[in-house]
Amino acid sequence: MKKLLTGNSAVSYGVMLSRAEVISAYPITPQTTIVEELSEMCADGRLPAKFIRVESEHSALACVTAACAAGARVFTATSSHGLAYMHEMLHWASGSRLPVVMVNANRAIGSPWNIWCDHSDSLSQRDTGWIQLYCQSAQEALDTVIQAYKVAEEVLLPVMILEDGFFLSHTSDTVDIPEPKEVDAFLPPYKPRYKLDPNDPHTFNIMADPSVFIDFKHEAQMAMEKAKKAITRVDREFKARFGRGYGWAGKVHLPDAEVVLLTMGTTASTALEVIKALCQQGKKVGLCRLRMFRPFPAEELCQVLSGAKKIAVLDRDNSLGAGGIVAQEVKAALFNLPRRPKVFEFIAGLGGRDITPEDIQEILEYTIKNPSPNGQPLWVGIQK
Amino acid sequence: MKKKKQGKKKLPLPLPKKSVFPPFSLSLEGTLGSKTGSWRYLTPAYINKLAPCNEACPAGEDVEAVMALAGQEEYLAAWEKTTQENPLPRICGRVCFHPCEGACNRREFDEATAINALERFLGDYAYQSGKQFSPPKEKRKGKVAIIGSGPAGLSCAYHLASLGYQVTIFEGQPKLGGVLRYGIPSYRLPKDILDQEIENILSLGVEVRTDTRLGKEVTWKALKPYSAIFIATGAWKSVPLQIPGEEAGRVMSGLEFLQKVNSGETIKLGQRVAIIGGGNTAMDAARSALRLGAKPLVIYRRTKEEMPAWEEEVAEAEEEAIEFIFLISPVKIITESGKVKGIECLKNLLGPPGKDGRPQPQPIEGSNFILQVDTVISAIGEVPDFSFLPEEMQKSAGSLIVNETGTTSMPKVFAGGDVVAQPRTVSYAIGSGKKAAIAIEATLQGKDAAEALRQARWGEKGSISMDRYKQGGLDGPAEEVVKFSELNTAYFQPKKRKPREKLPAAERTSGFAEVNLGISRETALEEAKRCFNCGVCNLCHNCFLFCPDMAISARPDQQGYAINLDYCKGCCICVEECPRGAISVEVGK
Repeated sequence: MKKLLTGNSAVSYGVMLSRAEVISAYPITPQTTIVEELSEMCADGRLPAKFIRVESEHSALACVTAACAAGARVFTATSSHGLAYMHEMLHWASGSRLPVVMVNANRAIGSPWNIWCDHSDSLSQRDTGWIQLYCQSAQEALDTVIQAYKVAEEVLLPVMILEDGFFLSHTSDTVDIPEPKEVDAFLPPYKPRYKLDPNDPHTFNIMADPSVFIDFKHEAQMAMEKAKKAITRVDREFKARFGRGYGWAGKVHLPDAEVVLLTMGTTASTALEVIKALCQQGKKVGLCRLRMFRPFPAEELCQVLSGAKKIAVLDRDNSLGAGGIVAQEVKAALFNLPRRPKVFEFIAGLGGRDITPEDIQEILEYTIKNPSPNGQPLWVGIQK
Repeated sequence: MKKKKQGKKKLPLPLPKKSVFPPFSLSLEGTLGSKTGSWRYLTPAYINKLAPCNEACPAGEDVEAVMALAGQEEYLAAWEKTTQENPLPRICGRVCFHPCEGACNRREFDEATAINALERFLGDYAYQSGKQFSPPKEKRKGKVAIIGSGPAGLSCAYHLASLGYQVTIFEGQPKLGGVLRYGIPSYRLPKDILDQEIENILSLGVEVRTDTRLGKEVTWKALKPYSAIFIATGAWKSVPLQIPGEEAGRVMSGLEFLQKVNSGETIKLGQRVAIIGGGNTAMDAARSALRLGAKPLVIYRRTKEEMPAWEEEVAEAEEEAIEFIFLISPVKIITESGKVKGIECLKNLLGPPGKDGRPQPQPIEGSNFILQVDTVISAIGEVPDFSFLPEEMQKSAGSLIVNETGTTSMPKVFAGGDVVAQPRTVSYAIGSGKKAAIAIEATLQGKDAAEALRQARWGEKGSISMDRYKQGGLDGPAEEVVKFSELNTAYFQPKKRKPREKLPAAERTSGFAEVNLGISRETALEEAKRCFNCGVCNLCHNCFLFCPDMAISARPDQQGYAINLDYCKGCCICVEECPRGAISVEVGK
């Protein structure tokens, strides 16, 4: 069934179709309408889940983590400061190896106060042990929720799904809503190997002393490696059943490109149009949209990008004192290649500033024109 | 990097092989082996405490328990709880000046709980449900004579009869009730309600001898066969004005006037009636005169602030457009051929406080003026009449002398109500009747009456509980009264109390219809639920929910909670989160 849905609404449908059993969240723009709609679904019986109201995001994630430990399929959603407030619990959820699924509607972190999109909120949580998947469309957001449960429950790691605040969360698009029967066949009920059970009492997350702590972390790292394969496989299975797939990187438009633009989220849609136009002018440019940021697909990127001469990384974030976070990771991934492309770094669109086709064209033309980067990321559209 | 093998040997438990390593750290057993109780240096304990309303109730009602039962819609049980202490809830629910509400902790939150209105509701509800007192389970040896059938006498008769004693009430008037019948006008207390509550007490087998005045129809000697005597003859002698003209016709005392009105006698008042005094009798007289068609004028020698009448009564009189003049003292009643013509008055200034701490009126010389009036009613105070009591019984100027147990200077002769020195209110009289009943019972059983009363007290304000007496008293800590600061008001929602409905002033003055109206069942429930239940566990479950060690569990008998001290580590979050201060902290246990 096709419906006109915003990104947030599409997420709610994804959660309903995945038959989440416990939902807890605290409202924050631009996420709020996700849980608003879910609470309506819970209230009118479309989704027979327990909806727990809480006083903070820290409690929201604590609630769903505990419910997940008790064996429930759980969901929460947040944005920006809410995600920052969850920071401690993010580690606990992943350290407990619980398949929690969360949607974060990307929003800048204050100060200054800002409610609009950039990726600094989720990228500052990149080391918390969560899988991170960045979506480009409402359809992808819905589909990714369903895929995320399957991956998370297989590898026992939590998944954070990212959608650009307002650009995706509040923009309507045609979305094909899968049949519940089909989703059920794709995603069977969650059967945990370990769960809190009063009849067989155990303490979860007891102290692990120096003789074993590192082993648990190593196990989690192995699980992340496993997750790369699982994400790709589950996406393939999803495509076989539903006709849509996204891979580890979304549509990669690389017809023997010499200059490749690499970015995440909705910017990729704008970029694709620019690149198509430039290709028609005979320019050898391509696009790589990174969908999976954690685990980071370093080997896969090397394969895809090794043929290019220059990479332009467009970060909608910045690590103060270092530069774009995606660019750093891309550079690190390519470092050991015998013939590595040059990486040009661009920072744009922070706090919801539009990244226009003209911006992208400028970025690409700069990259084509200059033989090598000048050592500093370039900030697009800074007022002079 | 792989783990070095020697690291394993140091562990207390053998590590599972890597192949069965759980993905996260997991204990082999539950937490029961970890007895966190050994960390404890503070110990919480469930100790119910005294609600301030209980301590403040002169009739010794367990107000908190009554409110709790009413809050569960157990209205008949709530009535039973009330009447364990006070047999006259319908009366008190109408005329008591409710010191309980004055002590209510909720006053510091929003407004006091409407305890008085709820008491009236419970009394009326139980009456409509045909509820009656249960007869005593056993008869006890002992005959008690009660002189006077006002609230003190009725209360004493009720409690003694309930304990199984044979009780005879001697009443000088043709009907029982004393001040309730002959003092309080029926717009405050309808006679049918009084009759019904008296009837209820009499159904316990109380013998009654009306029209029987002590010293006349029955002699002191004739009371000799009784095992104990309770004197509750009230204060019926009016204090004279001691001004010229007082002996004229149409000059009468407030009590005399009220007694006539309440007996249904026709009284000729004329147009203008001056009422001298600022107490409750003055208010009752003025408002009754108004209802008889006269135009009353209250003359008081101090200002409104100093009036001893209850604020509510003054307010109601004002609503009824009764005129007041303040800082005025009568000096002479002007008569013509033995009839009142007017009253000569003097203006006062308010001087410094006298011995009683109240500002003294100081007459302004030469400020004399004359008011034209047809009747003068003096209501400047009442004192007990001792004329019918044995001379050897010790008395002071205005009261019979009694000791802490209410015993007069004569053995086995007790006294209470307005005849002794105590605030002259219905609820104090009821309390003193109960106190006498306990003292009499203890004395007749050969027990120490003072000790029995000590055990039966609610707090420090003289409130006495029959229930506690029957239980033989409770331990020390329960004497502690819960303060507002000890409550956790985060758990209570602000909610205004509903104002008590009254008959519109215009509809009141044409007759003696009841002024204050009752509350509905819905309002009663709302009010009962507004009660904080100070100091008493009402199974709200907060402690259970908050205990981080799950050391608190509901007792199987549903009578509260138990703390498993093996696991309670003494954080005392339960104490903090108890909304009503029913958990205490003990150091070191």
